[in-house]
Amino acid sequence: MADLEITDLHVRTEDREILRGVDLEINRGEIHALMGPNGSGKSTLANTLLGHPSYEITQGSITFKGEDITEQEPHERAKAGLFLAFQYPVSIPGVSVANFLRMAINAKRDEPIQVKEFRTQLQHAIELLDVDKAFTSRHLNDGFSGGEKKRAEILQMAMLAPDIAILDETDSGLDIDALRTVAEGVQKLHDEQGLGALIITHYQRILHYVKPEFVHILMEGRIVLEGGVELVERLEREGYDQIRQEVGASAAAAGDEGA
Amino acid sequence: MTRFARRLARAPPQPVTKVPEQDAANTLPGATNGAAPVQVKAGRHREASLYHALAGAGAGDGRTLAQLRAAALDVYEASELPIWRRSGFWTTSLQSLDLDALDPAASAEGVPEVVSRTIPDGPRAGRIVQSAGETVHLELDPGLAERGVILCSLEDAFRDHPELVGPWYSKRLTIDRHKLEAANAAFWRAGAFLHVPAGVTVSEPFEIVYAIERPGVAQFGRTLVLGGANSEFRVHEYDLAEDFEGQALHAGAFELYLQDGARCRLAQLQDWGSGEVFDVSTRFVGVGRDAYCHWLPALLGGHLVRQHLELAVSEKGGDMAFRGLLFTEEHEHLDVFAVDLHETGPSGGDVHWRGAATGESRASFEGLIQIDPGAQQTHTYLQFHSMMLSPKARIDAIPSVLVSADDVSASHGGTVGELDENAIYYMQTRGLDRPAAVRVIVEGFFEPLVAEIGDEAMEEVVRSKVAAKLAAAREDIEAYATSR
Repeated sequence: MADLEITDLHVRTEDREILRGVDLEINRGEIHALMGPNGSGKSTLANTLLGHPSYEITQGSITFKGEDITEQEPHERAKAGLFLAFQYPVSIPGVSVANFLRMAINAKRDEPIQVKEFRTQLQHAIELLDVDKAFTSRHLNDGFSGGEKKRAEILQMAMLAPDIAILDETDSGLDIDALRTVAEGVQKLHDEQGLGALIITHYQRILHYVKPEFVHILMEGRIVLEGGVELVERLEREGYDQIRQEVGASAAAAGDEGA
Repeated sequence: MTRFARRLARAPPQPVTKVPEQDAANTLPGATNGAAPVQVKAGRHREASLYHALAGAGAGDGRTLAQLRAAALDVYEASELPIWRRSGFWTTSLQSLDLDALDPAASAEGVPEVVSRTIPDGPRAGRIVQSAGETVHLELDPGLAERGVILCSLEDAFRDHPELVGPWYSKRLTIDRHKLEAANAAFWRAGAFLHVPAGVTVSEPFEIVYAIERPGVAQFGRTLVLGGANSEFRVHEYDLAEDFEGQALHAGAFELYLQDGARCRLAQLQDWGSGEVFDVSTRFVGVGRDAYCHWLPALLGGHLVRQHLELAVSEKGGDMAFRGLLFTEEHEHLDVFAVDLHETGPSGGDVHWRGAATGESRASFEGLIQIDPGAQQTHTYLQFHSMMLSPKARIDAIPSVLVSADDVSASHGGTVGELDENAIYYMQTRGLDRPAAVRVIVEGFFEPLVAEIGDEAMEEVVRSKVAAKLAAAREDIEAYATSR
């Protein structure tokens, strides 16, 4: 059994069905890329995995480390070892990055982390992600640039050391330097800590710096193509439209079946 | 029956509540280009002028303390408990206060436990504690006493330092606007007096404490603080009560005068506990030439509280920062009138308040910027931000600007907020449960102001009080979330 198993996942919001039967398996130490055009359901999948209250699971299940987490609260999933790096991180005024990190780490532990241990970990993460130390005393995401927000996401990921991290379009809106830092951070966490990652992206850019072993293409709420890194290259060459045409017939057929 | 109780009991019933502030609402001065003021029907335009700045009015005009007490007693006896009604917004009514049942001469038995429980036992310049109507604790750093610093009860100050107290007592505080103000001026006992002489700098705080230990107490607090030229010091006031069942009253009057170049940081922590404590107080801070005051009240609880807080820059070059936070819960009612008054320019002002409410509590913040004709080159800004934590809680904010000078800048702004569900979800994905996430948001909301207290021990007291209120309102906040 895989560490994270998504089985026949159907998800809807108030007005429409967005995911229409997604199956996906991710293990620690594996890097997956989930690609798809805008509106295909990528962010819905990411947020459903963490238990966002606006998404209703109408069918299927999510299992994490052998436990069905389909009905769990977001904080329980986080404690179990899931992490989501947000596409648009929310600012939390009045709370410094360091204090927030300490709270988040302590939420996962029975005993609060020792000050010294925390400092050591923080120092390591700061070096890994090439951020300024003053960064951690600023209020979380408050007045951060797009690049700073994404670095703060990866910094949190490094500190919380999840088993599986979902990165929701972490690459969007980043300049090439920030993109490289973020991508290298993910790669290092993978290499050092055995992080498993689901990198959700619309583009291919980030995949030049982090090499996925598995690539999945999501269209209209279903995974329509799966393969290795060669799929990224094909997508780069052909674009989503070509693939859409190719898989169109089967998707339409499955759609009828689902309705 | 004590003398004070007899006085209270003697007050004859009056058919009409006499509240001069409301009477003034029926005219619109200056609206008619020199013609007689327009008389408008009662009820109209009341909103624009329910509360007024004291703006220079003061009872201290050379009369002796005894004369002032007698004059206040007349007003007290001729008036009924006030009601302040701002139609469509709020009504602050003292009608449910059973004044006759309270004892203004209640004796005190040492320092109430709530004082030692709340106030950190850190380094301080001095401390004076009043419980009920008695000074129950007084200490002052002997080194400071040698340098001329005075900390004592105001009663003792009248006896021992009449030349210092006389010119300033009630200089900018009235005694006749309503029954409880008159009661304070007529009946106050003990009180607190602090004098920091010219040129003296004190880094540790002076602590002035008013405590109510049990129900049935009517406490009339009276504080006078004088900062001599170029003095620099901090004052921490604590208004505390034990959690009890039953009514009590604190009617307070506070005045602080900063002379040329003096600098003061004034922080006030008010938490009257869960008893039915009424607090109707007036506080005035006068900033002299090139002087500076940072004033931060933290109003964290009381059954029914009305505060008139007025910060006046009275002379050239004066500057101030007026910060405040309020947090009401359960059925509490809080009515704050904050005045940013500029009497002479150039002067600066910066008013920034934040409020949150849970339960079925009501809070109102009326902020007035008033710039007098002589206050050219004044620059001031007033902002109020609120956060509602329960569907039945309500916070009203009414900013107003009265400008009589043409070379000034004065503006106001504010926000009304609820809990940001996206922020809660974000923190949940980091492992914090919902109550913890809410706590982070609300604490973060107040933190910029708390951090401005600039005294770690007092900051911690405020933080822990905010946390305790959030913990107490946990179910309420949960219910609010699921209802949306």
